[in-house]
Amino acid sequence: MSTELGLAIRRKSATPASSTGIRRDTVEIAKVVDIDLCIGCKACEVACKEWNNLPAEATSNFGSYQSHEDLSAATWDLMRFKEIELDGGDLAWLIRKDSCLHCDDPGCLAACPAPGAIVQYTNGIVNFDQTKCIGCQYCVSGCPFDIPRFDQKTKKVYKCTLCVDRVSASLEPACVKSCPTGAIKFGGKPEMLDYAAGKVDKLKGRGFDHAMVYDPSGVGGLHMMYVVPRGDKLSDYGLPKDPQVPGTFFSALSVLRKLGSISVWGGLLATGIFWLRTGRRKPPPEDEAVAEAERLGRETASEAEPAVQETPVGAGNGAAAAGGDGDGAGPVSMPQPPPPQPQEEER
Amino acid sequence: MSAVRAGTLHGNGEAAAGSGIERYTFVERFVHWWVALTFIALMVSGFALGYPRAYFLSGLFGGGQTMRFLHPWFGVAFTLGILWMLVSWARSMRMTAVDKQWVKRLRTYATTGHTGLDTGKFNAGQKGYYWFAVVLGLVLFVTGLPLWGGWLGGAAGLKHIARFLHHGAFLAMVGGFIIHVYLSTVMFPGTMSAMTTGRVSRAWAAFHHPAWFRQRDRRAGTGR
Repeated sequence: MSTELGLAIRRKSATPASSTGIRRDTVEIAKVVDIDLCIGCKACEVACKEWNNLPAEATSNFGSYQSHEDLSAATWDLMRFKEIELDGGDLAWLIRKDSCLHCDDPGCLAACPAPGAIVQYTNGIVNFDQTKCIGCQYCVSGCPFDIPRFDQKTKKVYKCTLCVDRVSASLEPACVKSCPTGAIKFGGKPEMLDYAAGKVDKLKGRGFDHAMVYDPSGVGGLHMMYVVPRGDKLSDYGLPKDPQVPGTFFSALSVLRKLGSISVWGGLLATGIFWLRTGRRKPPPEDEAVAEAERLGRETASEAEPAVQETPVGAGNGAAAAGGDGDGAGPVSMPQPPPPQPQEEER
Repeated sequence: MSAVRAGTLHGNGEAAAGSGIERYTFVERFVHWWVALTFIALMVSGFALGYPRAYFLSGLFGGGQTMRFLHPWFGVAFTLGILWMLVSWARSMRMTAVDKQWVKRLRTYATTGHTGLDTGKFNAGQKGYYWFAVVLGLVLFVTGLPLWGGWLGGAAGLKHIARFLHHGAFLAMVGGFIIHVYLSTVMFPGTMSAMTTGRVSRAWAAFHHPAWFRQRDRRAGTGR
């Protein structure tokens, strides 16, 4: 599905000078998933499939309450279940809605070489345009959350759109609408941050000392945040502690790109100038060229005999052209006299 | 002296078909153009993939997705040619004493196009370009593998390093390519025919590769 929507665009992949210019940024939207309120019903998964017309996939029991083992090109939202043992011996069930987090500084977009295949709207939504995707999967390695999924059949990459079509029509995303406990909130990013902060306070009051808002700065913040009750167990939730856009890599690559375009254009220009200055180098008439070759041959042969007698190397006065005395130029080890054998293997 | 000697010359010192001295066999020329054409395809699609402003070149390959599919296969074809060159030409590309002299006269060579040395079939610059292209070609193949697709695996970090090296090696290769094409078409007339007809004029051979010329000449003279 293409996304030529009426939304203002903040940046596009592989598009030089993509900026909104004089337009001020619009209100950024965000989801916040309150893990404390989530009961793992998977209504959001179903709603996601329904709204986005995604085909069902055959599932199998792999010893978990999870519906699918992993996200896929046709499954953009997945409740991940994990049971852990706490210090006191109690058990805790960690359930996390896993889908695109819509980074403010998206690694996928920075990695993408296909112009416009990844779009970030000013409201914060990061979306893939499969009509422009070339299937290189650089976005997959650019994503710190392992979200985009490549489809072997269409050779394109898919992920959650944050229901960009619904949002652009002032509707909440399908997952938000379907959530029976109100665990998925949706609104402006500032309001969502307020809600999350208030919820963290409440959780702390209830004894969840490590409760936190998951909105890491390494990716510029998220447009889908979490309220995480057990903030000390981030890795058990499957959340990286300090996700980063591979910034060093992207800046190194962009420096290399600039150097590259400068030196390629510069090289072509220099070659052109060199041509104008030096022109073409035709061989002399055949008689001259052959005579010179024979002379070099005799020289090489005579040098081969007294071997090291004359200072062999380095005396080359660099002096020029055809007649330049080939002093010390001969191969050092060529004892065969009259027609000197060149060292080269014949072809 | 011989039938070879009787060859006539075109204006720029190119050998007419069937005259002059044979420099490259049919197989050598075939592989050279195989490598050249796959390289050009790789370079053009590489610019499209690496530079957003050059993305329009993807149209030459039937669009971005088709280009992305083709690029690695061009790479495989290119690498096969490079491997053939490595196996077949490595022996004649070993550096010798004359080559050391040649390197010292690089400046003279660049400005006058001639060193006055008793050069064999290949001069040090040609040998240098050979090793440069073979080694970088293999580097490009190896660094291209992790970028090919998910099925080849590889962690994100590895892919980033591979992408960086692939890009760097690509740029170096483009630089070498520009010089190679300039020298063999514009700067030294008569060189192109070595790779098209396989033959060069006697004047060209004697002037640029005197030691090789004498060897071939003598061989022709003795009827070998």
